[in-house]
Amino acid sequence: MLQYILRRVMLLPLVIFGVTLLIFGMMQMLSPYQLLGLYVKSPEELRNQNLNALIEKYGLNDPIGKKYWNWLTNLAKGDLGYSESANMPVLDALKARFPATLELALFAVVPVVLGGIFLGAVSAVFHNRPLDSFIRIFAVVGWSLPDFVFGLFILMIFYGVLGWFPPGRLGPAAEMIVLSDGWRAFTGMNTIDAILNRNWTVFWDAVRHLIGPVLTLTYLWWAYILRITRSSMLDVMNKDYVRTALAKGVPDATVTRKHVLRNALIPVTTVAGIMVIGLLGGVVIVETVFNYKGLGLLAATAAQQLDYPMVLGTTMFYAFMLVVVNLLVDLAYAFIDPRVRLE
Amino acid sequence: MWKKLVKNKASLFGLCLLVMFILVAIFAPYLAPPKWENEPYRIPRYGWGPEPVPPSAEHPMGLTQGKYDIWYGVIWGTRTAFRVGLIVVGLSSLIGVTIGSISGYFGGKLDEIIMRIVDIFMSFPFLIAAVVFTTVLGKGLNNVMIAMITFYWMNYARLIRGNILAIKEEEFISAAKASGVKDWKIIIRHVLPNTIFPVLIQASMSLGSVVITASSLSFLGVGAPEGYADWGQMVSFSRNWLLGVPGDPLHYWYTVFFPGMAMILFVLAWNLIGDAFRDILDPKIQA
Repeated sequence: MLQYILRRVMLLPLVIFGVTLLIFGMMQMLSPYQLLGLYVKSPEELRNQNLNALIEKYGLNDPIGKKYWNWLTNLAKGDLGYSESANMPVLDALKARFPATLELALFAVVPVVLGGIFLGAVSAVFHNRPLDSFIRIFAVVGWSLPDFVFGLFILMIFYGVLGWFPPGRLGPAAEMIVLSDGWRAFTGMNTIDAILNRNWTVFWDAVRHLIGPVLTLTYLWWAYILRITRSSMLDVMNKDYVRTALAKGVPDATVTRKHVLRNALIPVTTVAGIMVIGLLGGVVIVETVFNYKGLGLLAATAAQQLDYPMVLGTTMFYAFMLVVVNLLVDLAYAFIDPRVRLE
Repeated sequence: MWKKLVKNKASLFGLCLLVMFILVAIFAPYLAPPKWENEPYRIPRYGWGPEPVPPSAEHPMGLTQGKYDIWYGVIWGTRTAFRVGLIVVGLSSLIGVTIGSISGYFGGKLDEIIMRIVDIFMSFPFLIAAVVFTTVLGKGLNNVMIAMITFYWMNYARLIRGNILAIKEEEFISAAKASGVKDWKIIIRHVLPNTIFPVLIQASMSLGSVVITASSLSFLGVGAPEGYADWGQMVSFSRNWLLGVPGDPLHYWYTVFFPGMAMILFVLAWNLIGDAFRDILDPKIQA
């Protein structure tokens, strides 16, 4: 196991190096003027100075190797440039917005994974019977819904018609409490902070704002988990040890729970890991639709306004996160299924 | 296989939907005659001011924000969807299959290097990578397609590589090698015909989701230019009118409903067929 972990961890710097190379490659398609934002410390610098002098100062006409090294050292220092669209340094904006996206992803993962496994298991147990067909059609329809179309439908019905789940992260009243002096922001995630502050008004308000996006994400992602659970359950159900267990008189429900589901869940873990990554990326659209101020909305706004430092910064952030999550998923998989380690 | 596809009610429905969309795309000039001969993708506007106008005899789906004709946008948007989907899937599977089969067939160091490059490209969430690359290249539908191909080919490369690894050691390949057939000829004549079929099916089935992603970029405002017949943009027009007027929250329902439905049905068609295919091809489920 240790050897496996070492081998996987050793690949990490290589992949991260490749990621920086790819982003730097994309940057080369922009003119030095467009890239200045990545180097300046404040917007005043851009307005008050001669742009050519700035290009000279930050070495944007240097040979490419030197330029790459220069950029990499900036990156290592956490200096990602200044964002015009967010009106602050890119790193600060990322830090401020990350908890919101994480909160949304955490709230979405639970119903997606648990609900998906449950529906998949039911579907497999009732294989080729009406309930199975119904669940599968339900899921394939969800899978086919474009996230922004479904999100807009949800918003129209649950906010426009019923007035239950408004867009945004907090209503004005709760917003006032969060911005007041008495409020201590422990994590930046409103629901958790509200519990720690023992403020139930804010808690319910935050939950109310989360339901719309979570509902959208859940329905769209169910099919993913459901399909894997179903096919892997069907696979396990044909195994000899299941037949043995049934033959010796173990009750159906026990076999399903203990022999089938447990073994069938191994591939589901990998998929769940990949799905967390998908969710973190997929929130871009959902956040835009629900005006939920997280990383995704930040990236989308920046892209519309051609705010290159911010766009490149969020991409880099996402890529690093993805690399790390991928590693964790692989390790978890090796931990759950010993066969993987031996390869 | 066709029989199974037609026998299953869900996939039959999918097939019918798909045929309908193909017909709409072919007969677009008759269903919605263009106002400008040379620019059929430009949606005509009827009037001034932003407010949408409800469906009428003249404009069966109404006019959306900016008085763009929804019917026209939906019909010509079908062509846009097919074009974007076919180009992106076609080119990225061509690139993916080429790189993947080289990697799988030759193996060794070359395979290791190619697979690490694939890992690097895979380190970006697809949508975000497509957004950032489109903004770098400049907004517009062609750049959206280039950006998507750049970050999509790896999926096919991985697929074909896996399949090739599985048949590489078979006797007919060794026999060809031993009799001195050139490598590229072995790949084209013997390896690909035995491995490419599932990849092609996968590729065609991803067409629906590729079209969604392209529409998402238009929705986010980095895709098609304003007024271009594109479903994603038509949906984004509806955002400002979502809440209707006081007392009638569904006042502007048509602005999101028609383009939204077109998109949903289009993707549903592909996914229904894909779902059936997956079951047909999955040997585990046969038992």
